Amino acid sequence: MNAAALHPGRVQRAIALLREAVRIPELALGGSVFIGLLLLALFGDFFQTHDPGRSDLTQRFLGFGEGGHLLGTDHMGRDVWSRLVAGLQWSMACAFAANLINLVIGTALGLAAAERLGALRNVSRQVTDALQAFPSLIAAIVVVVLVGQGFVPLVLTLGLLSWPIFMRVTNAEASSLYTRDYVKAATVAGVSRIRIMIGHIVPGLRATLVSVFALHFAALLIAESALSFLGIGAPLGVPTWGNMLAESRQYVLVEPRLLLVPACAIILTVIAANLFGDGLGVHARRGRRTEDR
Amino acid sequence: MSAVLQIRSLTLHLDRAGRALIDDVSIEIAAGETVGVVGESGSGKSLTALSVLQLLPGAAMQIAPGSSIRLQERELIGATPATLESLRGARVAIVFQEPMTALNPVRSIGSQMGEVIARHCGLEGSAVRERALELLRDVRINDAERIFDSFPHQLSGGMRQRVLIAMAFSSAPSLLIADEATTALDVTAQAQILELLKTLVRERGIACLMISHDLAVIRQNCDRVYVMHRGKVVESGSSREVIESPKHSYTQSLLASLPARRPGRTPAQSLGECVLEVVDVAVRHRRGQRGFGRAPAVVTAVDGVSLALNAGETLALVGESGCGKSSLLAAIAGLVPCEGLLRFQGRKGRPEPGRVQMVFQDPQGSLNPQWPAWRIVSEPATVNSHLTRRTRRDLAAELFAKVGLDATAIDRLPREFSGGQRQRIAIARALSVGPRLVLLDEPTSALDVSIQAQIIDLLVELQRREQLAYLFVSHDFAVVRQIADRIAVMRQGRIVESGPALEVLDHPQHPYTRELLAAVPRI
Repeated sequence: MNAAALHPGRVQRAIALLREAVRIPELALGGSVFIGLLLLALFGDFFQTHDPGRSDLTQRFLGFGEGGHLLGTDHMGRDVWSRLVAGLQWSMACAFAANLINLVIGTALGLAAAERLGALRNVSRQVTDALQAFPSLIAAIVVVVLVGQGFVPLVLTLGLLSWPIFMRVTNAEASSLYTRDYVKAATVAGVSRIRIMIGHIVPGLRATLVSVFALHFAALLIAESALSFLGIGAPLGVPTWGNMLAESRQYVLVEPRLLLVPACAIILTVIAANLFGDGLGVHARRGRRTEDR
Repeated sequence: MSAVLQIRSLTLHLDRAGRALIDDVSIEIAAGETVGVVGESGSGKSLTALSVLQLLPGAAMQIAPGSSIRLQERELIGATPATLESLRGARVAIVFQEPMTALNPVRSIGSQMGEVIARHCGLEGSAVRERALELLRDVRINDAERIFDSFPHQLSGGMRQRVLIAMAFSSAPSLLIADEATTALDVTAQAQILELLKTLVRERGIACLMISHDLAVIRQNCDRVYVMHRGKVVESGSSREVIESPKHSYTQSLLASLPARRPGRTPAQSLGECVLEVVDVAVRHRRGQRGFGRAPAVVTAVDGVSLALNAGETLALVGESGCGKSSLLAAIAGLVPCEGLLRFQGRKGRPEPGRVQMVFQDPQGSLNPQWPAWRIVSEPATVNSHLTRRTRRDLAAELFAKVGLDATAIDRLPREFSGGQRQRIAIARALSVGPRLVLLDEPTSALDVSIQAQIIDLLVELQRREQLAYLFVSHDFAVVRQIADRIAVMRQGRIVESGPALEVLDHPQHPYTRELLAAVPRI
């Protein structure tokens, strides 16, 4: 017997939720494109028609569909489609991992500040202000130059520099939740602070955090592409959208295709993630309104 | 004299197929007459008022054919938006319940009044200011110049409502609609505003439609009354007749559940142990943020209060908003720090967990909207012991039965219960660990009168059965009379008078208590 059969209410609720979500156009459109891209990244190996790293100098600058290459080949005769998929995998993994670090640090500090953990509150506020005042892309450049290239340094750099947004949102939202009467009721009843946090506050943040996660994902994706474009993100030779853009610059007049394909991919992913995040935000607000009724 | 407003068989549907929100309602108001519409929430009384100017929420609402609303012989149903626009404010003025949200917080009273006056009276320059000051004086504001330059947050609720009434009268309307205009105000402010409305209506010979849930307010201020129930007018007539000898069973039950009509409480005979002792407690709030070299302003909300409470006894704290009663309650609950001494069951310091519980005013905000009822109700019980899901559900079902709720409903979410049921859930939660003291912060003031009566009965019954001590905060003397053994009247952070309930209510000693009691509308 599966879980669905044991909890018929849950399945109905999920279906109702899905039906309601489809009614928000941003969520329906952004969500389906974003999830499609996510699946493409996860099962990318099945979709790649060629080895993205293998060059064939006899097959340079082939156009769309020529010689079995869906999006043609680049200046080294490498398959553009397969490189695009590999770049998607890299970007998604990078943005996702960095975002996860952001989420954990930002939410923890935001919660601590909202819970009024004395000194931590002031310190985290000062650090947040300092970080937000500092142009994080320039900071990222400095760090990467000092630490070196590669997936882990890149993720850590992006992850440790851009969490303030999570901290701010969590702090604002949690502070308002802490003023609710049901939190007071729990406090009067003697429920411990940590249990109030886990039981009442964190579940109340979920919807907002998911929305911010999607929105911030887009920002991180752009930051990663920018770093790669500057040649300090992904190591040389790794196919990423930033690298593809950088390499295509020299041939932009001869073969604009090489520039347009990764550029369009970035635009599509960022728009999808933004729409998805906006839609989730709308959904969260609507849910709150029905709760308040 | 012909009717200023004539509503004939008004019927309003939520949508074409939906049930009628207002069903065949006919209301007539003559000049110089104040007519009340009374009913509980959801009875359609406010919708009726809004439909006069077709300010109905949502385009989906359908006014059924055959309905007619005539303002001074002019049909409003089917009128063009431009016509309605010209009537709103000019011929018909509305005063709403919440005087804060109706004013723009970032603009001075003068500039907001000036805008309205310039539009309605076609005045300019200093004439606008003169007219505004004149209007403010008309609503009995003595220092009109100071109010003119003030911002909304600097004024009290009663003062804001006066300003709104002044604005409403800027265009010499022929119909004034007061939609629960005094519900959000303290009794003394309410009495003043009602008196003001009465005088203005009489002086200018305008028609007034007064929407209220409060039968006493209607009785004192209206010539005629319409009683609404589920979208229908069930009874109408002169307000004296309807309220003194109601014919319809709904009106009768509404009157019977009025706190003032129900028997007062007989003081508890034997008192149990002392549950709570408060000695010289003060609560100070810091205003504004602390910064470099900036000392925070301190506001003293509670200033040296002492009281004691025994098991099985109810002490009511009464006073106007801002008198410190809620701050005192929060201090006893341990929600805000305080100076002085608190003793629970003879011991200093915090009480054992669960021994003190709290019930809040707004039953909606006090229940976590994401939690099923069983989880909410059994939460305090999980503080001291780890309970399995099954025990928690059993406990919840037991508590539900105790407060008169269907024990099979424990899986529902708060939004699936009505207001009164939600308050029962909040009470069930307070009872879950066998408390000795329950702090009740206006637990009935957000509820309709019939529900209010049920909740009071439930509280009294539970107290008798479990020997609970209640500290009951309220501004409603009629409710206090039913539940309190003793009363403490608070003003500006101090207790100005305290004593046995009936003594304080019937023979108040302190002038402030007398003033408060005199302001309470009576039937």
